[in-house]
Amino acid sequence: MAAYSVDLSTGNNYFDLNDILASQEKIPCIFNIAVEGLGYLDQSTPDPDIGVGTKLELPLWLAKYLHRDARGIVSVETPKTYREGYRQILAADPSVVDLHRLGPHFYLGGGKLALFNLPDIQDVLKTLLQTFQGRFRRIMDGSQNALHTDLTNQINMLDESERRLFAAGQRGLLEFQSWESRESEKLSTSSVVLNQRKRKWVGACRDSGD
Amino acid sequence: MDPSEVEFLAEKEHVKIVPNFTQDTIYLISGDIGPFVAGLPVCVPLWLAVNLKQRQKCRVVPPDWMTLEVLQEKKQAEMDSRFFTEMPSPFYIEITQLLLQCATDDIPRADEIRTLIKDIWDLRIAKLRSSVDVFIKSEESHAKLNFLTLMEINTVREFLTKGLDHMHQLKSNLNGGGMASNSQFL
Repeated sequence: MAAYSVDLSTGNNYFDLNDILASQEKIPCIFNIAVEGLGYLDQSTPDPDIGVGTKLELPLWLAKYLHRDARGIVSVETPKTYREGYRQILAADPSVVDLHRLGPHFYLGGGKLALFNLPDIQDVLKTLLQTFQGRFRRIMDGSQNALHTDLTNQINMLDESERRLFAAGQRGLLEFQSWESRESEKLSTSSVVLNQRKRKWVGACRDSGD
Repeated sequence: MDPSEVEFLAEKEHVKIVPNFTQDTIYLISGDIGPFVAGLPVCVPLWLAVNLKQRQKCRVVPPDWMTLEVLQEKKQAEMDSRFFTEMPSPFYIEITQLLLQCATDDIPRADEIRTLIKDIWDLRIAKLRSSVDVFIKSEESHAKLNFLTLMEINTVREFLTKGLDHMHQLKSNLNGGGMASNSQFL
């Protein structure tokens, strides 16, 4: 991820799958001009055209190019999960919020909103940073402490980038544990060889052939 | 970095052994070892000490700090101080681990030493975690921690660097976001 990391504020990171997934998030848009023949996008009307003032949810990557400046084809609103109400919830206690439900790529998608000149964008970005700082301790403690407990509930509440962080923390702990219990000095079969099923198939074919 | 790689580095540390055989100096790229005279203490790298001990060719003299008194004092100092205290050896956990594994009979009260070292380790890791948390919350760009050992750094390395990466992205959104996006649309 880091190798091809592009300035996130420009919203593009061509080689990052998560970045691509995050740009699929739908954001609410209002059409400023009428568009002929695209009425099928708005399934609530039988009208063949899209009229001025139609509200539609468009994916972020599309909205980005339709919203060039103030006179663009669409104007963009802040998505619900980043609005004042949710921001207050996050400010109250970030560590208990189910971020994955608010958006699997909450941080990445939120950062991409900087592309649009939203009036409250500074507050949104500030909330993202504070949310992460507030949740960091729990992620760290969860990933570094509990080895034999069921963490599914906690992991479910993390957004995708936090999950990667959590996995990294657990990896560190597990590696240390296996060193401490002298597991790591034992030679073991590489997982590549173990998972390679081709060789087994060859054997199986020969057996059935005989 | 894998913990076993850290252990590899730790095996270059010297420990004292009393061999029960006699042999001339061994000349190695990393330095000369020996000569070995039966019954006379000699300093050898940890890897050699472990190997000789496994073959019953020597008796390991535990390092000065590997005694209950020193470690209890160390533990108390670690508990009393808000900061990290200097450890008697930069590879204390690795050396304890290796020596206690193969030379338990040469170290008096090995079990209690193992528990003490583990206690000190847990204290230091808890301290490390809370300083990492303070560091993240304070939004500073750098911090200095004295007397951390390689193994301790290694357990939080991937987590910490990923976390800082993430925070840097969120921060650069906040600082340069508006301007950068404008320039893209020009």
